[in-house]
Amino acid sequence: MRDILAVARAQLACSLRERITLFWFLVFPLFLLTLLSLIFSNVGQTEDLSFQITVVNLDRGSQSGSYATAVVETFRALSRRDTSGESPLFTLHEPTAGCDAGAFLEDELGALRVGKRSAVVVIPEEFSQGVVAAAAAGRDLDATAAVGIAVHTSGGRTGSDIALGVIDQVLAGVNKQLLVSLGLFDPAREVEVARVKVGSENKDFRYVDFLVPGVIVMGFFTAGLFSVPGTILFGRESKILRAYWVTPLNAPRFLAGFALGHLALCVLQLACVWALGRFALGAQIDLFQPLALVYLALSIVTFLCLGFLVAAVAKTPNSGMAMANIVNMPMMFLGGLFFPTGSVPPGLRAILLVNPVTYLAEGLRASVGVGAPTYGHPVMLAVPCVWIVGCVVVASLRLKWDVGR
Amino acid sequence: MDEAALMKVMNLVKHYGEVRAVDGVSFSVPRSEVFTLLGPNGAGKTTTLEILEGIREADSGEIEIFGERLRRIDRATKERIGVLLQEGSFEPYLKVREVLALFASFFRSPRSPAEMLRKIALEEKANALVKTLSGGQKQRLAIGVALINDPELVFLDEPTTGLDPQARRNIWAIVSGLTASGKTVILTTHYMEEAEALSQMVCIMDHGKVIAQGSPRELTSKLSQETIVEFLAPDGASFSPALAERCTITRGEGGLVSVKTSDLVGTLGSLLDWSRSSGEPLAEMTVRQPNLEDVFLSLTGRRLRS
Repeated sequence: MRDILAVARAQLACSLRERITLFWFLVFPLFLLTLLSLIFSNVGQTEDLSFQITVVNLDRGSQSGSYATAVVETFRALSRRDTSGESPLFTLHEPTAGCDAGAFLEDELGALRVGKRSAVVVIPEEFSQGVVAAAAAGRDLDATAAVGIAVHTSGGRTGSDIALGVIDQVLAGVNKQLLVSLGLFDPAREVEVARVKVGSENKDFRYVDFLVPGVIVMGFFTAGLFSVPGTILFGRESKILRAYWVTPLNAPRFLAGFALGHLALCVLQLACVWALGRFALGAQIDLFQPLALVYLALSIVTFLCLGFLVAAVAKTPNSGMAMANIVNMPMMFLGGLFFPTGSVPPGLRAILLVNPVTYLAEGLRASVGVGAPTYGHPVMLAVPCVWIVGCVVVASLRLKWDVGR
Repeated sequence: MDEAALMKVMNLVKHYGEVRAVDGVSFSVPRSEVFTLLGPNGAGKTTTLEILEGIREADSGEIEIFGERLRRIDRATKERIGVLLQEGSFEPYLKVREVLALFASFFRSPRSPAEMLRKIALEEKANALVKTLSGGQKQRLAIGVALINDPELVFLDEPTTGLDPQARRNIWAIVSGLTASGKTVILTTHYMEEAEALSQMVCIMDHGKVIAQGSPRELTSKLSQETIVEFLAPDGASFSPALAERCTITRGEGGLVSVKTSDLVGTLGSLLDWSRSSGEPLAEMTVRQPNLEDVFLSLTGRRLRS
């Protein structure tokens, strides 16, 4: 055991003293976590939306209790701050008393064109009369459509498009109230819609909670993929390993020490990333629960074995690093480490299916309540295990511990 | 074969593809002596040593070490041997003390790293990273690693190659101290003067075969009736037929002419006559007794470092 611990200690000391290794092991994951969490801190957050809406009531018959006034009052109600203190949905602009409504409308349409308004709602002159006439005719149709409330928006502007959707909903509500008041609609007959949310169990989705597990898996991935073949291939090429083989130390014991040192380094990396995420960036996930720990351990072992596979296939340190880079790009960027994999094009989905990074990152997130796994946990755990077996088989057949002739 | 030998090697054979790198090598290594495998690059010295160190397996042949016959060097044997590899190296980001402690952990009864630091005179560099050491310091560290288990048998594979003269002398002093403390050393080198300075026994190899073995005195004594006269002369210089009949003339690199003769007085007279008649000055002329280089030359017709 003394020899295994000594190899582990040496491995750890070398990694912490070599600047390039230290950068990729510790500095880069911390930097990436900070950078991405700052850039995408609003992803998944509920923003305070407030639309600049103008309502111009041209209805001649507007008076207290008229239908046009009811519409205006609905918008006014939505522009008032409620008791919860949240920002109102609309900031409402209306013509002041004595103001020329026509001129005001022109000004407001101008403001809409330059992006100062999200929408301009115009209630036409004969609105109230039209509603009454439609009701008298018994027409079972959209009352406001019949008399034509106009909603002006600025095409191509996201804020304006969203405002249009919101106003549509508001006017649908007004319509329903009008129809109820005219006896044309029975609320009891309304079809109930049940809203069921699939996916995240975490009600308050925070990108940093999504990101921290991804960066942890990424750290393990790059450590295994680059550090392991780098150490073995360089050690083999420069005959550092050969100096071990002329002593009683054998390859399995060296391997045990090497893996232990690698594990220690990964734990250090995990602690740093978690601490930064938790204390500086406000992540709220709990990584220290059994299933999450299983995923963390499996990630370290999977990528350690992947590193051995590269070391087994490559002949020199340079070819090993080239192979690692080729493997790194698709596996890391198509592994859902930084963004959900839902938007990956169908042609690239095959990589997702075989990529252990996907299963480990997604499984780890699911184990801490960020998102739901694509498959059940048995499958999410089994795929990396298949990778481990495959890598071990190939490495044990092909890995050379000494330079041959 | 010597019954009291620490190690016996019998008909060792090793192929690399079609190349017979070691071709039926046999020798015995006496206890508490420096036994040197001498030969040019590619002679098969390092492959022979790698088989004896347990790095490679022989295609055929037998090894008897510490009284036991082995096909391959096992763990128990590795506890009792120390190895300095040719062009071996250590983790560049470990400190000198850590390297010694690391290797000490591999053995059951190692020496302390502090004691070894004193022995190899690297106490001041104990906390220096390996990558900051000079070539000579690295080689001393490698010797320290080879001796960390207090081995009975030490393999030193070209320990002074690439070192400056001072560093080479330091290594020689350490090697001489090993036999004084009762250890047996198997050394490989292609430096004739190193073999002569350190060895009690020399085994000369060429093309994978042992072509001569014995003590340096025994090997050179076969040529001792002859004296070597060396000087520099232009490549195109021709000597008189009388001189060519009296002695053996060999040309080497850089215009070096070696004249081997058993009639020193007559040869010197002929050379002076030739110098006067040709106008050549016999530049840097030396007269010496034969050495191991001359033994190799007489056996192969080539120089060790040609």
